[in-house]
Amino acid sequence: MRRRYPVAALAAALAFGTGLAAGPASADVQMQGVTDNEVRIGAFGPFGGPVYLYGKLVMNGVEAVFDKVNSEGGVHGRNVVLVREDDNCKPEGAIAAVKKLAYDQKVFAIIGGACSNATLASVPELEKSGIPMVVNSAVADGITDPPKTNIYTTQLTSGVESRAQIDFALARGAKTMAVVRMTDAWAMARYNPLIAYAEEKGIEFVENLELGVDANDATPQALKLKGAGVDAVIMILYPKPGAVLIRDSLKIGSNPLWVGQTAINDFVAFEKQVGVPDALTNFVTITATAFQPSDPEVKDWTDRVKSLFPNDELSVFNMNGIGSAQVLVEALRKAGPDLTRDGFLAAMGSMDMEVDVYAGPIKCSAGESHQCNQHPGWLALEDGKVVKLQ
Amino acid sequence: MEYLSYLVATGISTGALYALVALGIVVIYKATQVVNFAHGEMFMLGGFFAYTFHVMLDWPYLPSFALAVALAFGVGIAVDRVAFRPLMQRQTLVSVLLVMIGLSFVLKGVARWLWGGKGDYLTFPPLISPEPLSFAGIMVMSQQLVVLGAACAVMVAFALFFKLTRAGRFMQATADNPKAAKLVGLRTDRVYMYTFGVGSAVAAAAAVLMAPLTLLYPDIGFMLFIKAFAAAVLGGLTSIPGAVVGGFLIGIIEQLAAGYLHTAMQEVAAFIVIMIVMIFIPTGLFGLGRMRKV
Amino acid sequence: MQVLVGKRAFLTALFVFLFVIPWIANEYHTFVANLILLYVILSLGLNLLIGFAGQLALANAAMYGIGAYGTGLLMKHFGLPFWISAPGGVAIAVISGTLLALPALRLSGIYLALATLAFAQFTFWLMTHWTPVTFGAGGFIPPPIDFSPLPITQETGIYYLSWGAALVLYVFAKHAMESPIGRAFVAIRDGEVAAQALGIDLLKYKSLAFALSGFYAGVAGALYSGMLGFVGPESFDLLQMVLHKAAVVLGGMGSVIGSLIGGVLLTVLVELTKEFKFSIEVAFGGLLIVFVLFQPNGVIVFVRRLLPGWNERLHYVPPGKETEEDFGAVPETDPEAPAEPDDPAEVPATQPRGGGPV
Repeated sequence: MRRRYPVAALAAALAFGTGLAAGPASADVQMQGVTDNEVRIGAFGPFGGPVYLYGKLVMNGVEAVFDKVNSEGGVHGRNVVLVREDDNCKPEGAIAAVKKLAYDQKVFAIIGGACSNATLASVPELEKSGIPMVVNSAVADGITDPPKTNIYTTQLTSGVESRAQIDFALARGAKTMAVVRMTDAWAMARYNPLIAYAEEKGIEFVENLELGVDANDATPQALKLKGAGVDAVIMILYPKPGAVLIRDSLKIGSNPLWVGQTAINDFVAFEKQVGVPDALTNFVTITATAFQPSDPEVKDWTDRVKSLFPNDELSVFNMNGIGSAQVLVEALRKAGPDLTRDGFLAAMGSMDMEVDVYAGPIKCSAGESHQCNQHPGWLALEDGKVVKLQ
Repeated sequence: MEYLSYLVATGISTGALYALVALGIVVIYKATQVVNFAHGEMFMLGGFFAYTFHVMLDWPYLPSFALAVALAFGVGIAVDRVAFRPLMQRQTLVSVLLVMIGLSFVLKGVARWLWGGKGDYLTFPPLISPEPLSFAGIMVMSQQLVVLGAACAVMVAFALFFKLTRAGRFMQATADNPKAAKLVGLRTDRVYMYTFGVGSAVAAAAAVLMAPLTLLYPDIGFMLFIKAFAAAVLGGLTSIPGAVVGGFLIGIIEQLAAGYLHTAMQEVAAFIVIMIVMIFIPTGLFGLGRMRKV
Repeated sequence: MQVLVGKRAFLTALFVFLFVIPWIANEYHTFVANLILLYVILSLGLNLLIGFAGQLALANAAMYGIGAYGTGLLMKHFGLPFWISAPGGVAIAVISGTLLALPALRLSGIYLALATLAFAQFTFWLMTHWTPVTFGAGGFIPPPIDFSPLPITQETGIYYLSWGAALVLYVFAKHAMESPIGRAFVAIRDGEVAAQALGIDLLKYKSLAFALSGFYAGVAGALYSGMLGFVGPESFDLLQMVLHKAAVVLGGMGSVIGSLIGGVLLTVLVELTKEFKFSIEVAFGGLLIVFVLFQPNGVIVFVRRLLPGWNERLHYVPPGKETEEDFGAVPETDPEAPAEPDDPAEVPATQPRGGGPV
């Protein structure tokens, strides 16, 4: 008897399924997530795990912007509502999150994407759903290169940063360069364009070294760098291995030009992490944001974040969220009161604006580049003070 | 030559950290025959406790240190009460280990709630000057010498404790034959409880000493645990001096692998050592010749 | 009553429900249902190893990854169709799983657990470092799978393959564990020396247990690579390992149908923790603790208590009912378990506390 159930079910389901195979009408999709007084925006990224800073804290920044916009009456009379989804920094998590936001929560657009691999894995799903996406944390070039109709990024992408790192070292007259890198997805997204650009420029790295994200010691790496007599070291490292590398190099009396990138974005904290006095005289790093959370220029924003999330220290991650959310809100505004996906994407595609927190203008071009942030800022220490280099 | 001597010297100084963590693992294993999978999280918690008192509340160094160690002792006792004691009676090792694994994840998650919003890698001031010292022409971080000293001191203290004190001999007896120990009136429960407490306290002390160099973050525990476990297993898992020698050896192996083979080997050396030792010399270098039979 | 909620009716209903989901649910729910099918397979395979054969190995997530990488890489490097590369990927997982049985012959308990953990970490390291083969930490996109001449998309195709695999592997596990193989596994779990005395070939059955769990994890991995269209190392980390353990413990160690329920519950709970913005580490670490301490035999015990006809002959008899005092004593047997004196499951688990090389 029981053997017949699946067969019957199969027949019924097949008959039923053929009727539903066609997708929903596209007119509904254009307005999905929009009502007269509300527009729902999704976000995905990790809330926990080692890299939750790139998810949760960035979303806090986004929330601060939405909060401000809503307190001023919203965009064209609509409150902007953030729907957060946890992706656990996993490919399956990000795909599930996009599907949930697109087909279950039915949001209008998505802002977020924290982990490179997870966001990369979700790209086909994003394209299929057609939902507008503004990437604000994940750096992998492949997310927006080649351009996808509905995906833009306001984050400096890995290629932009890697090229800037080499250009900076060259501009400082470095003859011999080395690279020290981690080996996770984040680092590989930077490393591959770095090598490609180095080849283009005819640069050969005299040392190409690895350092683990949990490394407590980098003496072998430091000895190799010293032995090779390098002028400049490109660091594709998080703050901890970065601090360990500089500390152990200073220990053996070697202090070349250290070229960091946005993961080491809090200069004050990094100086403490290295822990040796006057350690950062030869260290420069890229910043995507023009300001550190402690700067008075962004006090209005930091006060807002602080009042919404009193338990969390302010961080540069908040700044990333603030910047990208400002761009998104501006696009909503430009798209006019009759908000549609196409209208929003058209607004994104012609975006050209100064944002409070970014180092340079945000300029997107629908036909050419969806990587809207091309302006790395540089930070260095001069006379004990963090300064922005021109 | 300078290259090699640097690698060896650094291997010993980072090995001291592994040794100090491994000592806690060994002491707990000796008494209970269980490897505390959450031992790395005891280290992490100890560090965060000290951070809370010394950095957030601005208390002086020594009281913060002492209180962090005391709290970790308490957490160790809690681990015994929650994870070990109830399961001892069911005699299933699988259960004990599953609970420990669960615990290590819970503690990580809780630490992220409590301290995760404070920054990516938290810094903790060193006990003495942060400047490196010259040691026979080799520069070492002064804080690493403190850890090295602490590892040796803790090793000696444990060795004496097991040899000379009544409580230590109780622990030894309990480990050798828990049923007999119970029959002759030893309060084995209490022995287990204090063992877990002491093991965690040592991990916390290691964390406070080492935090200026390792920095503090919720995920620090697992890597340290694996490396310390490699050290312990290399030393035989039951030997106090074995844990220390094992720690030094793992430290040196990592340095040599990174220095002469490839820097990528630094991360993976400990896993390879664990696999090789477990399969080919499961009694380790200093283990008891006699292993427990089923 | 028995007809309505009997085991067979429940199973039929569950699988029919899972079968029609792609038509009645939205894409998100269908995706979750596909994850459910994968976790059912993973949980079944791990339970054969841990719950039945009593081998605490921590490399299941690595096997899952090996299956996914094997399948995806065979497609990517050699241009093989899914129908050939999937069995290839599964074969690689089975071989790695069987190799793990070699240390298991010499090691038990804690030693085995940590040796397999080191193996899992080493596998993870290989995935990120063996760049020419694995494409490194950035992961890779396996080629699309062609289901022609069937008029279905890759998503639908993989979904029904998962559905079929879960059903077949459930039935296989159930029958295998009721056969002499299952009895041999349980005998090994309950005491290796005694098992040997009963004439059970440790080499053969331990290898079989590891190979079977490698097979199940490999199948799940092969389906995973087709389902996501992306394979990267971060999916096969320690958290994944904990999720597999939680699924087994949640459902019930040593219960085949428990694993089925565990896989379903786990996936639903993962989505719920996300929904309620709760820490996944705390949720599943905590779940593992609470279940091992208070209900080591999983939710299947509640089901069995409430409903007749849900007993399994070889299910691990709960020693949880004993009081604190009978340390080492024979625990009471579950009154509802059928009394079969010859049944090895009636012998309480009397593993040595420490384990160690044997």
